[in-house]
Amino acid sequence: MDSHAGPLSAQPTRLDQLEQDFAALAPQLPQGPQTQALSLLHGMVQELWRSGAAAAPAAAGLSLQDVADLHQRAPAMEGEAVSTPLKAGEPAPDFALPNANGETVRLSDFRGRNVLLVFYPLDWSPGCSRQLDLYQQELDEFRRRDVEVVGVSVDSLYSHGAWAAVRGITFPLLADFHPKGEVARRYQVWRESDGFSERALYLIDADGVIRYAHVSPKLQHVPDIYELYSVLDGLSAPKAA
Amino acid sequence: MLSPGYGPFAGRGALAGEVVVYGSRWCGVTMMVRRHLDRAGVPYRFVDWDVSPQARAQLEWLAGGRLASPTVTVGGQILVQPSLRELDWALMRAGYR
Repeated sequence: MDSHAGPLSAQPTRLDQLEQDFAALAPQLPQGPQTQALSLLHGMVQELWRSGAAAAPAAAGLSLQDVADLHQRAPAMEGEAVSTPLKAGEPAPDFALPNANGETVRLSDFRGRNVLLVFYPLDWSPGCSRQLDLYQQELDEFRRRDVEVVGVSVDSLYSHGAWAAVRGITFPLLADFHPKGEVARRYQVWRESDGFSERALYLIDADGVIRYAHVSPKLQHVPDIYELYSVLDGLSAPKAA
Repeated sequence: MLSPGYGPFAGRGALAGEVVVYGSRWCGVTMMVRRHLDRAGVPYRFVDWDVSPQARAQLEWLAGGRLASPTVTVGGQILVQPSLRELDWALMRAGYR
């Protein structure tokens, strides 16, 4: 994209100029510890500069935001996919699972509406926090495409309730808790060796038929939202006669 | 490793005002940042560093060797995995908002 708003028309600030001069010198520097030290110093200056944005005094104890951010320092969750999902065109297996309020939610409750069933490994984990934050941010885009988002993991309904409250997640999270992972198994996205599901998406249409299935090739991979939107847009386009 | 011309930072381009998002297509935070910019109508360039490892290597030097997906450049500012609030602040300083 090469169109620019205001900044290019303005005079560069002294800091801008210094940054440019700094970058221009970079190719002339020999490899070695001095160059590395300069790189580290530059990184430190950038971080100090950036921290000016969050110069609020530290509150005593943990804030909700600190809890929401715990996933940033949590152990990584990685691994190759081991499952082959159900195929598009097959009927989606029905299920009855509790949501965070303890109410039973069935797939058939959504008959007449499109559902994006989001199987994710675990509440509180790094990839899942980021994936569900993204879907919450994009909720109006899903609704605009007439799609309800529903999350499923093996966590208990209490964990779902706390996690959703901390993250501000407003779409339903269902507890595939007992028998553990039964619905994930039914949808062929269970990881027996880990005791949780793949990161997988099923788009189920208003008639309860699977229209799209995707398993992330690696657990840590969040499905590309732009690809997902093109799938959703393709499905909502008028069908050929 | 530094290369002649200094890739994405050559000339006035990136450092003078262009917004560039470097990261992976499969990274959730990168997608949040890209969608945030889409919504705000801020023009930006996305560089998938899984397919452009050279861009990553060049950027690494400016960031002090520690990169995370996404890294966003807004004018002369280099934001390593910024929150949306930090990103908005950087955009505001660069005159975008």
